[in-house]
Amino acid sequence: MAPREREQDEPPERDRCITGIDGLDNILNGGIPRGNTVLVTGSVGTGKTSLCLEFLVHGSMAGENSLYISATEATAKLLSNIIPYDFFDRKLVRDGRLVFIDLPVIYDKLGLEKLEFEFEEVNILITALANIVDELDIRRLCIDSITSVCYRLKTQENIRDFILKLGSMLSSRGCTSLLVSEISPAEERYSLYGVEEAIADGVIVTGNLERRGDLLRTLQVVKMRGTMHSRAKYVLDLTSVGVLLVPLLKGGSVAAPGG
Amino acid sequence: MSVTSEVGEKLEALPEAAAIALRMKAEHYFDAIRAILDVFANKKSLDSIYVTSTIPSTSIINALDVLEIKLDHIWFVDCISQIMMSPAQKHGHSIYVESPTMLDNLMLKVEYLIRKTSDRKNLVIIDSINSLAIHNNTKILSEFLHILVNNLRAKEAYTIIFSMVEYETEDIRNMLNLVSDELVEVEGKA
Repeated sequence: MAPREREQDEPPERDRCITGIDGLDNILNGGIPRGNTVLVTGSVGTGKTSLCLEFLVHGSMAGENSLYISATEATAKLLSNIIPYDFFDRKLVRDGRLVFIDLPVIYDKLGLEKLEFEFEEVNILITALANIVDELDIRRLCIDSITSVCYRLKTQENIRDFILKLGSMLSSRGCTSLLVSEISPAEERYSLYGVEEAIADGVIVTGNLERRGDLLRTLQVVKMRGTMHSRAKYVLDLTSVGVLLVPLLKGGSVAAPGG
Repeated sequence: MSVTSEVGEKLEALPEAAAIALRMKAEHYFDAIRAILDVFANKKSLDSIYVTSTIPSTSIINALDVLEIKLDHIWFVDCISQIMMSPAQKHGHSIYVESPTMLDNLMLKVEYLIRKTSDRKNLVIIDSINSLAIHNNTKILSEFLHILVNNLRAKEAYTIIFSMVEYETEDIRNMLNLVSDELVEVEGKA
């Protein structure tokens, strides 16, 4: 095939949202395709929140307004426990380029007091989030965790509806988003309800891997629409210079799967 | 010629960012360390990252202190102190890996120190392949060295892998041949 014909056949390269996490950008062949909604899933203590925070910090440093919506932990507590990144500047928060909002505060403002959300409440919540994204000109967003929202949605239909609408709303605004999903270590699927991973544009799995008594934190990109990417497992470390990744050594010695 | 001078001269003759297997007798161990950290690294203005799985970093730091070698540009990745359950005080220039079997974490700590000390080029010393071979099988150790050395080469860092000839096996020799650009023998002739 002539080069010109091949160029016409290939879909145009999608604009990338560079995460700023070198190892992850390499795995993703240059970053997350802009506008993708990505599920970051894993059990506790595997680095999901740190990964998301770093993604947002780098975004805000690059001039992209970034929003962290905390569903489970109050922002003040979260910030006090944050790894003291060498590159983190609290001015980003003061200047409104990095915004933290507690989801219960949004619920209160919207009068969403019911423990179980129906179709109508889902729409109210999506509209409210859309307004925040528009008002603050948000380009990167993280909801930590989506699991706690899904608890209120109960049915798979409602969860599917919520994530579809959320992803569509964010994507249409060019906002790249990470949705944190909590799963137990023994879980064989990537989300609590088994729906979220099917709808998300990407799935990044963090986990623990036990090898000969050593516990390693791992990361694997299982799915990412719009880019070629590695599907291998990597070992990660949470450090003051950010999340670091190296390939998982195989060496024929992996004894017990666990993450 | 002293061992220190011999090692210093041989290292200086090597190309930039080379991966070097340094074969020596155990008796030349501290002279070789002195040649690398005091002579070679200083002359080339390198930040040294010293990965120790042989003896705790505090023992090496104490020896450097006796030799009057300053620690300003020397950092340690210590993967033996924790496994020894030693109550030794943590040193500000050392970071610790739980066990020499955690080779992935060892790579991560080296990467971390390279990023932290980004002003100068780096020299990474692996002390030693023999002690790492006690805790790891040949397959995973070869894979580790292959990835680490290539990664360091891409970062224009020198790699020096210690090997004590008394404890060398055929597997170790094969591994060194595979991953290193140069094999340097410490002869220690008077």
